[in-house]
This record gives sequence, structure tokens and C-alpha cells, in this order.
Amino acid sequence: MILHPAVIANLLAAYISSGMVLYALFYGVQILRHWDIQSGHELQLVLERKTYLISTLLSYVFGLQLLSLFLFIFTADSLAPLFVGAMCAVGTLNVDPFGYPTLTLKICNFILAGLWLILNYVDNQGYDYPLIKKKYQLLAFVAPLIILEMILESAYFLGMKADVITSCCGSLFSSERVTGIGSEIASLPALPMMWFFYGAMSCTLLCGIVFYLKGLGGYLYAALSLLMFIISLVSIVSFISLYIYELPTHHCPFCIIMEEYCYIGYLLYLLLFGAVVSGLGVGALIPSRQVESLKFMLNGFIRKLALASIILYAAFTALVTYEIVSSSLVISYEVVY
Amino acid sequence: MIELMNVKKVFNAGNPSEFSALNSVNLFIEENQVTVLKGPSGSGKTTLLSIVGCMSRPTAGRVKLKGREITSLPERFLTDIRRKTFGFIFQQPNLIKGISVLDNVMLPAYPLGEKRSHLKVKAMKGLSQLNIGNKAASKVEWLSGGEAQRASIVRALINDPHIIIADEPTAHLDTKLSYRFMEIIEKFKAEGKTVIITSHDPLVYESSMVDRVVNLRDGQIEN
Repeated sequence: MILHPAVIANLLAAYISSGMVLYALFYGVQILRHWDIQSGHELQLVLERKTYLISTLLSYVFGLQLLSLFLFIFTADSLAPLFVGAMCAVGTLNVDPFGYPTLTLKICNFILAGLWLILNYVDNQGYDYPLIKKKYQLLAFVAPLIILEMILESAYFLGMKADVITSCCGSLFSSERVTGIGSEIASLPALPMMWFFYGAMSCTLLCGIVFYLKGLGGYLYAALSLLMFIISLVSIVSFISLYIYELPTHHCPFCIIMEEYCYIGYLLYLLLFGAVVSGLGVGALIPSRQVESLKFMLNGFIRKLALASIILYAAFTALVTYEIVSSSLVISYEVVY
Repeated sequence: MIELMNVKKVFNAGNPSEFSALNSVNLFIEENQVTVLKGPSGSGKTTLLSIVGCMSRPTAGRVKLKGREITSLPERFLTDIRRKTFGFIFQQPNLIKGISVLDNVMLPAYPLGEKRSHLKVKAMKGLSQLNIGNKAASKVEWLSGGEAQRASIVRALINDPHIIIADEPTAHLDTKLSYRFMEIIEKFKAEGKTVIITSHDPLVYESSMVDRVVNLRDGQIEN
């Protein structure tokens, strides 16, 4: 399994990211401990020069981190024919106990990496490194998670056995199954869940528009965008997938990335992840609005982030609505799957 | 105007070839004065000048420009300061061959996005003031040493900098041209500009228009 090109690409990406993050963390800790912009000490000047290198390095590492989530899902999907019982990425992720923990961690790290890139961009706009401590505190938090992700990902890929009979998505995301989070989400009634999704999305978008126009409720929008991200993931399993597959019993969140469904899953997830990262970025940057060196740009940039998040969520909703409207599936109140 | 606090510059730190060019230099350079940094070769004059002009960073210490600390600034902010605050005159004219004198003079102003027609008028005025207006269309290869030096002075002034930095400007000029250069410096002073010159040429540091001579030796300021 390790000789599969996609597995090699995943493992290489994980090892490169981890190595670079460890190197960056070494200087990051020094910056957190010794940074004093008022000082003319030799160490301070060395750290000022090093921070350029570290920032540039981490921009690429975290960019790679964003891509690696999609590469991981693609790999899991492309390995499915190699395992008995696997129909899509769900089965592949289930071949050993490390698949789903790796995926969960990759999702968390995607969001954190996105936030770091936003902080780094803003920090580079100020003349006095205004967010340097925040940036490296976030790095100190993310670095262990990236190392853990690398360990789990290695254990997952290296522990794959071709003779394992795995479960398919029909069994894991089934409303008839009694246990498991996938089944519990799949058991949620589709129509009420749809109204809940549209209601929550309307509130989120409204809050975002109010913040964009009047500058009020930034933290609320950040919290709602995170909540909306979770609701949207649940909605994909609960009812969106049904309309895409045009099957009232198929709830898989991974089959939608397949060619048969025009890879629409990639677009849906891309919109969703982009929306949550930019939405959370709004909340992360609001406390820095009073920083002198950022005053000239930060308010405008936060508004742009909010707008990006609103547009991405709106595009996600539009795409979901299009799938529902154009689907042959009709779900009535009487029959709830 | 320019304040240096405990500035140190070490080259090749940690290597056997480690060389300390500046050792804890403290200096205050007044506005609208001509200051000459004087000292033997290897005393640290050019290193000090390059740090003051934001062309290199110190190993330790800070530099303040008009009260604003500049050594910690990220590179893109330093570029902006270099462009708008300093005009550089080097030992060699460093003009770009193959293009005209006028193009050479206008080159540092291009990134600021000023209208070309305005820029051309400004450049021509500068060339005429230094009596090389008739050479504007000539290629720089055709200029004499003195003309090339004057062209490089006009180039240094194109962005109307507050501070002129000149590194050994008379090193390749004969006596007559050196006096001519000092006359130009006097004009800068009259216009309210601050001038910092490195030189070990007596014609420069003994000139009556020089307000202050700072003696450097082995990377330190001599009393």
C-alpha cells in the first residue's frame, strides 16, 4: 500500500510539514520568550530577521496543509477498489482504527492553518510586527496537532492490510443502524433538518451582512460561521446527499466526491471550508482593531473577510438548493428516512 | 534627526573570519547640517553609512530617524524609507550603461508612479542646474568622469530626499571637480537638506561648509 503514489504524496506532505513546523516552532518559542521590539539586543535583531524566514516557510507549510486535506480524501477514495467491502472513502478510512481520527485532525488543522495564514497576512501589513505573539502562540498550539496528524496518518497508511474486509458507506451512514455518529446523523429527519439548515443559514448570512454593513456583531458572526459549518456537515449527511444521489436511503458524505456525481463534493467542501476559515478570521482579528500600525487597513480587511465568508456560504447554499431543485427525489413529510 | 544607539555590526559572525566593523557606536546627526564621517580605510565609515541609509541592518543596536525606530522595520517599509528619504551618491557613479543620462536619472522615481512628463521636467531641471542639461539624451558611456558624477547626483535628488548620503564622493575626482562637488553640497545645505559624507579627503572634511567631522577608527568613534 505504501508504494501507491497517492499514499507516498500524503506521507511526504505530512513529513515535510512536520519537519518544517518543528523547525519553525524552535524559533517560534524563542520569539515568544525573548521578543522585545524596544530592545536593540543582538538576539532581538536575529529574531527579527528569522521571523521573515519562518513566516515564509510556514506560509508554504500551511498552504500545503490546506491542500493535504483534499489530497487525503482523494487518496482514501482512490484506494477503495483495493479493499473488499469498500465502495468509497468511507470503507478505506475504516480499514484500520486511524483513518477517521486522521481525517478529524486534518479538518481541525485545516481551519487552524487557515487562521494562521490570515494572522500572518495581517501581521505582515504592520511595521511593528503587531500580531507576532498571537501568530506564534497559534503556531505553538497547531504544531503538536500537525505532529500528531503525521503520526496518525503514518499509522493509518502503514497499517493498511489488503486482506481486511471493511464496511461500505451504506452500512456506516445508515438510518437503520443503531450505533455510531454517522448513523445518528443519518437518522435525523430530512425535512425538518432541511428547514433548520435554511433557517440557520439565513440567520448566519443576515448577521454577516449586518456586520459587513454596520460593523456590528463580529464575534457573533464568527461563532455562527463555525456553528453553520457543523450544521452544514450534518446537513450533507442528513439530507443534501439524498438529493444528490436521488436515493432516500444513501447518506454518504464521501460518494459525492466521485466522478459519477461530477465531483460536486469537492466544490461543496471547498466552499464550506473557505467560509468557516474566513468567518473565524473575522473573530480572530477583531481584538486587534485598535493596534496603531494596523488601523489603516484592518477594518477594511475584516470586512473583506466577512464578505468572502458570506459569499462562500451563499454559494454553498445556492449549490445545495440547485441540487435539491434539480433532483428527481421528492421527500414528503409522511415518509421520513 | 538620526540617532544611532549602541550600533554594532559583525560580519561572518561565528566563523574564523569574523570581523567586527562597528563596536557600540552612539551618534546623533543633526538636521540640515553637513556631517563628515572621517577615518582610515577599514574604520567602518561605509558600514555606518549603509546602516544609516537603511541599506543594511546592524547586528545589535537601534537607529532612529526623526524619532522613529527604523532598524526593526520589515523590508518593504525600509524600501519605502530608502526611496523617499535618502538620496545616495556612491564612490563610482554606478550609472546603467546602454540607456541615456535622462533615463538613468529618472529610474529611481519610476516605482513611485509619478507622471513621466512631470518626472522629465524635474530631471531636466536637475541636469541643467548641474550644467549637464545638454547631455540628457547622451548615453552614459559618452560622459566624462565629472559629468557621470554629476548625473549620479541628479539621480540621487530625483525623489527630493531630505537626506543625502555620499560615500567617498571625491575619490575619483580631480581637485577642480572635487571643489565643484563641494559647491553642490553647499547648495544642498542651503536648501535645508541634511548631508552625510564619508571621506578621508582633506578637501572634503576641511571644507568650511562642513558642520561636524566624526572620526572613526577600528569601528569606534574617536573623541
